[in-house]
Amino acid sequence: MVVHAQTGGRFTLKGVVTDTSGAVLPEATVMLLLPKDSSLVNFGRTNKEGVFELKNLKRAQYIFKVSYVGFVPYQETVNPKDGDVTDLGRMKMKVLQKELYEVVIKTARAPLSIRGDTVEFDARAFKVPPGSTVEDLLRKLPGMQVDADGNIKAQGEEVKRVTVDGKRFFGDDPKMATKNLPAEAINKVQVFNGKTEQSKVTGVDDGKREKTVNLELKDSHKKGGFGKAIAGVGTDKRLEGKVSYNRFDDKQQFALLGFGNNTNQSGIARNDYQDFKGSQSFNWGDDGDFGFNSGRYYGGDDITIQPNWGGGGSEGFTKNFAGGANYNYDNKKTKLSTSYFYNQTKAIMDVRSSTENFLTNDSYSSLANSKTIGFTGNHRPSFRFEKNIDSLNTIILISNSRINAGDDHFDSYQRSFRNEGVVTNQSTVKNFSEYSSFAMANLLLYRHKFKKKGRNFAASIGYNINNADENKDLSSNNVFFQDSARNSIINQLNETESTRGNLKGSLSYIEPFAKKFFWETFYNYSMRKDKVDRDVFDVSDAGREVNPLLTRFYSNDFTYNRVGTSVRYSNKGLNLSAGLAGVQFELRGKFAADKAASDFMRVTKSYFTLVPNVSVNYDLKNNRYLYAEYGLNVREPSITDLQPIVDNSNPLFITEGNPDLIPSSTHSVYAGYNMFNPANFINLYIGLSYNYNVNQIVYNRTVNVENLITTTRPINVSGGYSYGSYGGFGFPLKKTKATMNLNASINYNNNITYINDVENETNTNSYNFGTRLDLTPSDAFTFYGNANWGFSNSEYSINTNQNQKIFNATYGADVNAKGPKDIYFNAKFNYRIYKNDQFGFDQKLPILNLSVYKIVLKSKKGEIRLTANDVFKKNLGITQNVNQNYYTERRVATLSRYFMLSFTYNMRGVTASVRRSNNY
Amino acid sequence: MKAVLISILLLVTVVFYADAQKTEGEITYERVFHWTRVYSRLSYMSQEEKDRMKLTWGNDDESKQEMLLIFNDKQSYYSYPKVETLSEGGYSWTKEEFKSYRDYENGKMTDLIAMLGKTYLIEDSLQTFNWKVMNKIKEVAGYMCMMAVTEDTVKGQKITAWFADNIPVSGGPQLFGGLPGMILELDVNDGDIVTTAKEVKFRPVTEEELAIPKKLKGRKINHAKYQELMSTHIRDSIKAHRNPFWSIPY
Repeated sequence: MVVHAQTGGRFTLKGVVTDTSGAVLPEATVMLLLPKDSSLVNFGRTNKEGVFELKNLKRAQYIFKVSYVGFVPYQETVNPKDGDVTDLGRMKMKVLQKELYEVVIKTARAPLSIRGDTVEFDARAFKVPPGSTVEDLLRKLPGMQVDADGNIKAQGEEVKRVTVDGKRFFGDDPKMATKNLPAEAINKVQVFNGKTEQSKVTGVDDGKREKTVNLELKDSHKKGGFGKAIAGVGTDKRLEGKVSYNRFDDKQQFALLGFGNNTNQSGIARNDYQDFKGSQSFNWGDDGDFGFNSGRYYGGDDITIQPNWGGGGSEGFTKNFAGGANYNYDNKKTKLSTSYFYNQTKAIMDVRSSTENFLTNDSYSSLANSKTIGFTGNHRPSFRFEKNIDSLNTIILISNSRINAGDDHFDSYQRSFRNEGVVTNQSTVKNFSEYSSFAMANLLLYRHKFKKKGRNFAASIGYNINNADENKDLSSNNVFFQDSARNSIINQLNETESTRGNLKGSLSYIEPFAKKFFWETFYNYSMRKDKVDRDVFDVSDAGREVNPLLTRFYSNDFTYNRVGTSVRYSNKGLNLSAGLAGVQFELRGKFAADKAASDFMRVTKSYFTLVPNVSVNYDLKNNRYLYAEYGLNVREPSITDLQPIVDNSNPLFITEGNPDLIPSSTHSVYAGYNMFNPANFINLYIGLSYNYNVNQIVYNRTVNVENLITTTRPINVSGGYSYGSYGGFGFPLKKTKATMNLNASINYNNNITYINDVENETNTNSYNFGTRLDLTPSDAFTFYGNANWGFSNSEYSINTNQNQKIFNATYGADVNAKGPKDIYFNAKFNYRIYKNDQFGFDQKLPILNLSVYKIVLKSKKGEIRLTANDVFKKNLGITQNVNQNYYTERRVATLSRYFMLSFTYNMRGVTASVRRSNNY
Repeated sequence: MKAVLISILLLVTVVFYADAQKTEGEITYERVFHWTRVYSRLSYMSQEEKDRMKLTWGNDDESKQEMLLIFNDKQSYYSYPKVETLSEGGYSWTKEEFKSYRDYENGKMTDLIAMLGKTYLIEDSLQTFNWKVMNKIKEVAGYMCMMAVTEDTVKGQKITAWFADNIPVSGGPQLFGGLPGMILELDVNDGDIVTTAKEVKFRPVTEEELAIPKKLKGRKINHAKYQELMSTHIRDSIKAHRNPFWSIPY
């Protein structure tokens, strides 16, 4: 026959498909597969008489397969016979056991494998309670019976053998595996007629078959744990260390994180934050305030831990410790997350600052040397629970707290000068304060989706607490050289107790109509109660005496109501929305010298305004996006600004409140366009913005020309505005190897303020231009360079001789190279130039950081790194600030050059790459 | 025994009766995309980055899209549903052009696909897939399906299709077909992206529904060119440490 087959030619395969009783099966699918890999080469169907014919087939061996609904797929190997036609005769198909079909396919919705006589069950589809053994799982499978003693029967026959992954499991007792293995470990259960042990040993098939159950174990890839530890020692007594550990399976995540250093790293790096919080890192839907942005009431607090989104270490010298644990549970229906985190920072700030103050037709300068030693510690427990009651209802409960305590030592020596360095006054200050606070934010959120798609209802209720206690010892010696009558020595004790309670609620209802329209109606409510009880005592040798001028009790109730409605049109990527809301504020303040006072002064303010909101979001084809929004933001005055209280804790700088303040508002418009072409990697973005202030709260400065004492008082001013535009363009110079980015921005600012009751307008123009070059020629070398130039021009309407031009430039380079033997090198250079003509300031700050590291240990689990921080010792902690009527330059003694040797151990292996991480 | 026989007879008659119309109608699919699983296959990401992504987003990484296949025994048309399904929040996002016409009678394919920032019109003869038919059955949308597997060498994907041999049309979702029956579920890389039939509705289909519109706008290329564009882009993106799946229909 083989010989004949080789003579070639094509052949026809035919036959008749019937059931076991011989009845023909029309329209059955017949298929021919290649035996080596089951590749489908031909297929056809039986006709009304159950007859099929596959013509023009190559002479070869095939697997012939027939499929018919309700029957077990039929399979046999066929070899072409002599002649043009090979007739397979009648093929009898067996009815698929109804039980099998109903249970496995219909109920468990699991695929069923049939290989000859082997039936395979997908164990995942059969739910057993956690902690169940394989025995419990087998009881659930169709055709399987397990008696009280654990004896197993399959299709009525006793199961003689249970194997695990095809191998014997601790001896021959089938119960060994079924009683001991957990059901969760099983991926598949196969039931088949295996050869007897006898025939396996002898290699002679005795034709006898025993019922065998094979258990296929799960790949435990969904379970895991990893940890990381870093320790470093440096010159200048620098130390740093960090430990993290994670453990997770498909439902649970557990994480530990701890770090300590004296290298100014106080925040949690973003990656560490994400590893710590896991699936709870970002919860976008946890905002209980519904409705559009305009006129929205914000009450942000840093109660929860936040990732550090970039930026270097803090200024000064800080010593930091932090640590915590996080646990998440998520089974899709119920999500539970709890965490606890503690952090503490001790900061030493040595600050030298010089300020130039502009008066109506004059100016004066002041110098201050101050040192602050501060300690602060925060405990942060957090809790979040989310339950999907059913597919339409969800509740979320969140409770986060922060318990804070700290102290501050503040020493300062301040002097003010006028005209060629003549000292007018000087002040020596020594303060000490101790404080503690407790803040808590609770939110209950309910969301309901209606059966009608797009119709939604949501309600939220929240209660926030923020209480603080502070005891402050203030002492200062103030000397006025021109007016010695004003000389004073102040010794005060200031005890302040403040409490805040905030009850909030929100409702939202969205109704879809006319297919492409959505109508949202929302209501926001907030009731905030603030109480401040401040007792100030003058301390002298004779004891302490209440200072009636500074001792104060006040309470403030702030009620906020917003009702609004908006209509949105959504179709084909275009989302157009317009809405209007009414906002009502009510402020009720009362204050007196003491809590027990019989007579309170009262401030009652009520304010109503309409806030519009219009927005467009247009998702255009081919990665282009257009957006614009107009809104009006309204903000109430702060309580301290409203209280007619004089604060002279700094005798040279007195602040005073203003009970006549009304809420400030800002009209703002922004628009932008983004595009990205993935084929040639070109991207472009542009944006515009405009803001106009109405009743902006600014501080009117009154400077006593004689003694240079400044008094500030908040007032409402309308008219300040700003507008600006920015844009960027990125393109490859050479695909995948070199990319160039350009960006530019222009901003114009008009600021209004009052100095000695004369309006002063500050106009600032600023222009920025930047460029970035990424060179990634190979996996062994990369260069990332950037350059930015900024120019700003400030003009004052009074005191025009103080007009100033500031030039800023930054040049940066980041070079990475891979050497032999897993040695890597990194250099980061940052060069900053700052010029201010007015003050003859010309500063150049080159900061260079170098590091070299080597990957060590088996599976690249370790890394040794040598770092040189600020090689040129140029980190001087200088900042400049130009404001409406003063210019300040601050120098903070800051952590500068040090060398550090560190070691990292990472269970998952250290990934060293010269490439920057693009994320995903 | 008698009951079984009767039920078999009944089944046969029902099947036979139904078969008369089982060659035209529409199938609504739901395409579920697990992006953390897809992105985990990016070779330039470190294990640490992959774990972090899975831990952070892995529980909530599904994106769903409804798709519609209209077919008769000669032709089929696969694209988004005629009425736009808005996202959960009711916002509308532009869907990248994706229209797929198949002419089984004349062995022709016409696809209009937006990728790499352009819209391409891919015209060629029907592509054949090297399907391997396996010994597994399961039910999808009330139909018993057999399993067949193949590989997409350009995208490096393992494709598992479940086809119903009693819907005798060699069509399917996405760009797949060529099996003895309609593909009712298509699984890419063991669950990364699963397109499953939710509803199979047999109804008379008019010619206009399946006709290729004359004004299909796109850059004309053949299937080989399409594959070349795809593989060049994937190679370049991986080299540039960029996610290639942002800009191609994955």
